[in-house]
Amino acid sequence: MIEFNNVSKVYSNGCKALSNVSLTIEQGEFVAIIGLSGAGKSTLLRSINKMHSISDGILNVNGVEVSKIKGKELRKFRRNIGMVFQSFNLVRRTSVINNVLSSKAADKNVLEVLFGYYSKEEKISALEALDKVGILEKAYIRADQLSGGQMQRVALARTLAQNPKIILADEPVASLDPIMASSVMEDFTKINKETNITVIINIHHVDLALKYADRIIGIRAGEIVFDGPSANITDDILTEIYGREINDDERMIKND
Amino acid sequence: MSKSRIIEQYEMRPKKWVSYLLSIIVIVAILFPAISTISFNGFSKSGLVVAKNIFLGIINPDMSFILDFSELGLPFLLLETAAIAFLGTLIGLIISVPLAFLAARNITNKFVSNIFVTIITIIRTFPVFVYGLMFIRVTGPGAFAGVLTLALTSIGMLSKLFIEVIEDLDTGIIESLDASGCNTLQKIRFGIIPQLMTNFVSILIYRFDINVKNASVLGLVGAGGIGAPLQFAMAGSKWDLVGSLLLGLIVLVLIIETCSDKIRAKLANG
Amino acid sequence: MINYLKSLFVPETFTLSNGKVVKSKFNWTIYIVIALFFLIILAGKFTGFSFETLVDKGANFFDILVKMVKVDFAYFPKIVGPMIDTLTMSLLGTVIGAVFALPAAFICSANLNKNRIFIRIVKTLISIIRTVPVLVYALILTYIFGIGTFAGFLSLTIFTFSICTKMLYEQIETLDNGPFEAMESTGSDKVKATWIAIFPQLRSHYFSTMLYNFEMNVRSAAILGYVGAGGIGLILNENIGWRKYGRVGMILIVLIVTVIAIESLSRFIRKRLG
Repeated sequence: MIEFNNVSKVYSNGCKALSNVSLTIEQGEFVAIIGLSGAGKSTLLRSINKMHSISDGILNVNGVEVSKIKGKELRKFRRNIGMVFQSFNLVRRTSVINNVLSSKAADKNVLEVLFGYYSKEEKISALEALDKVGILEKAYIRADQLSGGQMQRVALARTLAQNPKIILADEPVASLDPIMASSVMEDFTKINKETNITVIINIHHVDLALKYADRIIGIRAGEIVFDGPSANITDDILTEIYGREINDDERMIKND
Repeated sequence: MSKSRIIEQYEMRPKKWVSYLLSIIVIVAILFPAISTISFNGFSKSGLVVAKNIFLGIINPDMSFILDFSELGLPFLLLETAAIAFLGTLIGLIISVPLAFLAARNITNKFVSNIFVTIITIIRTFPVFVYGLMFIRVTGPGAFAGVLTLALTSIGMLSKLFIEVIEDLDTGIIESLDASGCNTLQKIRFGIIPQLMTNFVSILIYRFDINVKNASVLGLVGAGGIGAPLQFAMAGSKWDLVGSLLLGLIVLVLIIETCSDKIRAKLANG
Repeated sequence: MINYLKSLFVPETFTLSNGKVVKSKFNWTIYIVIALFFLIILAGKFTGFSFETLVDKGANFFDILVKMVKVDFAYFPKIVGPMIDTLTMSLLGTVIGAVFALPAAFICSANLNKNRIFIRIVKTLISIIRTVPVLVYALILTYIFGIGTFAGFLSLTIFTFSICTKMLYEQIETLDNGPFEAMESTGSDKVKATWIAIFPQLRSHYFSTMLYNFEMNVRSAAILGYVGAGGIGLILNENIGWRKYGRVGMILIVLIVTVIAIESLSRFIRKRLG
């Protein structure tokens, strides 16, 4: 369970990214955070695993008060939270399976990491993760030979191999074409339904958010302006979140 | 079903230990004989003491030497080192500009260019201090030998870099000047010099930077600058003197390196 | 003419027909030329530059050159040993210097380490190490470790370390930081994250930096013998001292061939590394 209690974030340049955010996300939810770029989506998401630290308020994740932990404790805490990025953030010059295995490095000792040693169990579990996202057969080729959609699947497999309780996805489909974007979103849904992992996605495309997520959080200028089931979203609410009519770019799937 | 596919894929993993083993064997085969030829005789008897003394010397430099503005003091030696580097670079420049034009493939024909490139390569491969020892036979020991040495060694690198710049010339500008009826001199003045100027100056400053370091080394063979006093001070175990000389050298090079980096960055950004 | 000369020193002003006054850009050229002129005269005085000496005795240089051309081929067998010493010192110096440079470069990279003050201090230390020429290190180290190849090897190691570190951190700061961020998000510490996410991106650049340094080191190693730090410089210095220029010629041929061979080999490998 993730609990934001009056959380605020002010950057050192004085820019206020979050103001008095309060919300609760239960285990196993599929949440999409929508809003204009610069509205604070990314800050909200990244504060959950303390990639960004908050300046005020209380943030509890599975009973851990995030602002209180650092160093070793923080790293241990992060092992239970997976993260997926817009630009995939794979190590392109190494094989797919090494990328997946890299999420297990946190638990290993430095020498094993230095020599790239992984046990049979770890390799099998990495292959299972690749199988879940449907690219088992790509395991031994170099990551830079994959298409964008396949790269994002590898990134997802890397996160799954970590056995997380929560997956945070920061604009995971923004660099993909519409068909790829939909199928990667389906992967997220499948994982969420089958394994009860909480999935929180920052997303620019409203239609993808409405189609795949169960719950929508609309954020504008650092404040939550909507929080509810995706079924309750109306055009008026979208106008409020975006401060204007949404444009075609944000409406990726045309109403067909 | 899915389990067996995964096991199958697991068995297909590339077996890397062969290549690991081979690379380890190669590394050991090269490095091991190498290590055995490096003879470590332990510290020479007074080695540790010397190390300690040099360190103490750097912390407590000989202040009277640093503040001595006569010909025997540190400021004079540093200025001399810088002057050797300065003149050497300049003479190198005067010789390498025509050399570079003669060796640039887009200016002369292939045959002439190859001849000059070969000459430049030969000049470049001689170690600096061989020239130093040769010039001492010409001028006798002293700063003048250093100037000539650095001039000659600068030619190698300067012309090599100049050639690259010249071969990158944008000939479109010359054509357009041609079209507007300029004569050869005007073409060089308005078409070529503006393109080459900043790059040449930047290369020149870079070489000056290197020459300051070289000038300090040349003293060791008796070609002026800070090197010779350093060697005498070490031979005479005057560690506080060694300390001040090293300190002076470090400060001089740091200042020139910083200035050179700043100026070159400014030139590159226009 | 006078106006032209004046325009060199003071920016020209033009009055346009609409009454606006336009000043041309201040021209530094003439001041730089004058300053350079005085610097040259000053530097000439400092270094005892004299054309007379050059004209009178310049021929000596070519005399020596001519004597070198009469190469003493019989001396070749005596060169092989010192040449191998030189290569060995360079190779070991390069490898060990580069191995230490890797962690140092990671520590100094602004995108991996957020401690600005610490980075500033370490970078300054490394540039201080870099300012001291190899030959000066060799001179000092022969006093500490005695005459021989070990002092040469160590001075090359120190020098390689300082140059490699700079070349590497400049490269690391241009690399894609995303994978490193991803590793940190999985709970890896910086050491593991760097090794897994940054090193693979750096690998080919690292090896080509090493090769480049090896080339440079062979050149510098050739002169280390002068201060007694072993290798080919030792016999080179002796033979120049004894005026056995035929032998010097032979040594230089061996040296030049070796340097060119190594440079070509290294260029070939670096091209393949991409």
